[in-house]
Amino acid sequence: MPVHETDICIIGGGITSAMLAERLAELRPGVRIAVVEAGKSIFDAQNRGRYRQRAIDYGEHPWPGDYIEDQQADGIISMTMAVGGLALHWGGACNRFSEEDLRLKSLYGLATDWPIAWQELEHYYGEAERRLNVSGEPSPHPEDRRSQPYPQGPIPLSYNLQTLKTWAEESGIPFSPLPMARNLTPFGGRGSCCVYDTCGEVCPSGARYSPDYTFKQLIAPKKIVLHDQTLVRRLIVDETRSTVVAAQAVRQDRPEDPIEFRARTFVVASGYCWSSHLLLLSKSARFPNGLANRSGLVGRYMNGHRFIQATANIDAQTFPGQNMTHSLISRQFFRCPADKPFVRHDTRVWESSAGRDPRLRAPGGALLLGDELMADWRSRTKGSSVRLRAYVDVHPSADSRLTLDPSHTNRWGDPMPKIEHHYDAATLSREAATRAHVLGVFNSLAKASNGRIVNTNEGDYLDHPGGGCRMGADPATSVCDSYGRTHDHENLFVVGAPTTPTGGCTNGTLTFVALTLRSAQEIARR
Amino acid sequence: MADKFVAWTRGYREGVALAHGYGHPRLQKSGPSPVPVYISQLAELAASAKAKGVRWPALDLETRRSILDAALAKAGVRNLPPRPIGQHVAADLMAFYFRSSEANDACYQALINREVCRPIAITTRKPEPRP
Repeated sequence: MPVHETDICIIGGGITSAMLAERLAELRPGVRIAVVEAGKSIFDAQNRGRYRQRAIDYGEHPWPGDYIEDQQADGIISMTMAVGGLALHWGGACNRFSEEDLRLKSLYGLATDWPIAWQELEHYYGEAERRLNVSGEPSPHPEDRRSQPYPQGPIPLSYNLQTLKTWAEESGIPFSPLPMARNLTPFGGRGSCCVYDTCGEVCPSGARYSPDYTFKQLIAPKKIVLHDQTLVRRLIVDETRSTVVAAQAVRQDRPEDPIEFRARTFVVASGYCWSSHLLLLSKSARFPNGLANRSGLVGRYMNGHRFIQATANIDAQTFPGQNMTHSLISRQFFRCPADKPFVRHDTRVWESSAGRDPRLRAPGGALLLGDELMADWRSRTKGSSVRLRAYVDVHPSADSRLTLDPSHTNRWGDPMPKIEHHYDAATLSREAATRAHVLGVFNSLAKASNGRIVNTNEGDYLDHPGGGCRMGADPATSVCDSYGRTHDHENLFVVGAPTTPTGGCTNGTLTFVALTLRSAQEIARR
Repeated sequence: MADKFVAWTRGYREGVALAHGYGHPRLQKSGPSPVPVYISQLAELAASAKAKGVRWPALDLETRRSILDAALAKAGVRNLPPRPIGQHVAADLMAFYFRSSEANDACYQALINREVCRPIAITTRKPEPRP
């Protein structure tokens, strides 16, 4: 069996892996770093313009082969498994959480506190923003003060978003351009934004940060060794101690030939789903519940945020299609007075064409042909449709879980994960009040420009998920410490999304990266 | 537009992974080329016209509407597809044009250029009127 010896073995090849590998290579030049990723490398940036066009023209997936057909999870929100992970086609939103997220128990008696001081995390937010080259505007709220400026000014607001900002702020709620990891000028070997406007699918210029660029830049000077198409199936613990000694893997193209990675330090950077999954799969006679699981909490407290959406119609005129992937954000409701009913959410505003798209039939049912269809379409384009959304802070119960599903296995017979999200009792008890509050905010926005809310709906999954290996100071109630070091195995770390105790009320990626950069300092110290 | 649509059919690839989505992803692959279906549907439309005693171009608007209405109902088309999806050639041709950036500009009578790579500064201004 081939054995690869290394100093640090990082399992997973997504955005936290890229950031961790990059930072470790800086902190410990010469250290041997292996990155092991189950999916393949899709390093053909030169083809992305063509992939984008085929996605538009034919609906084809713009990341060919970024999935493994028999390595899928029930309840996962994306099938992507490739070098770069979900951040190959994220939108690039880079919002910070707020101090309240870290102090829910202390401030409100809810969920749990994170074992990190806000000031310390704030420092790593700055570092994450610098590495991702985030474009943003400082928040108008003094509580959101920053120790470092954004590396780039805000993405210029389109005419449409300028119009919608004026409209939305008539409610008295301040809005800012959404901070995004999108180059306004070339940076990091990537081009500048030229509004392909398919950030969440594929960015041909590379303006929207994508981890494949970082990996390529680390591979060329041999700062890391990347083992792609290599699925780690088990972590193996020393027979007498509790240190992890090996990761057993198979290559997708040589499924009969196992490989072993031996390292001084192992870091599981496999995202919210596959991190817990690997720890649970790694059970043995000594660790019958899997690794890092003395608390029984691996795979528990799976989190994320609920979302409530609405469409408003207003009289102000916009022209859908200017920059549909950019949006406005308000942090007005990130904070909740401790003596008021608890509700926290962000508020987002996008240009939209909802309800104003071309249609085949007139309201009476008559088929529209040619110029009739265009005339009908044009008659419905006066004013604007506005897309509104709030990511709502909800808290998981212990039975919000990832479990192994024996009825669903991969080609090696390994059970695949099943994720079921559940709220804690306090979250359930305030659901109706939360919904009423958010819809009230939407209605207050809609008052201006003769606006009215024309529909509302709620997501049926939790977005930007995390959890499963939550951090904490107490080994009885958490899986790892604030650096991601597992309580049970001194040389085994988990980084990023899985370590979050709660999911916040805005996009999580920047937080996952900031936490990972903080973990990197500790891992490098070993 | 018809020529562009024909070019689109020539570029169609079978068995290719389609966007697997976010939230509730699922693997889907492109189906067989729609061309044989299109050809038979066009033949049916021509036969319907012939039954009225004329060729398709000679039909009046309401007769065309009636024939197409029946054909789309038979093919299960209720709405304008998001892009050509092979249900019916008429719906797909309409989707091919009306879902395009070009049609969006024609509708708004403005140079929005939704799918066109352009400097971000251009988007900060009200779109120029479409000539």
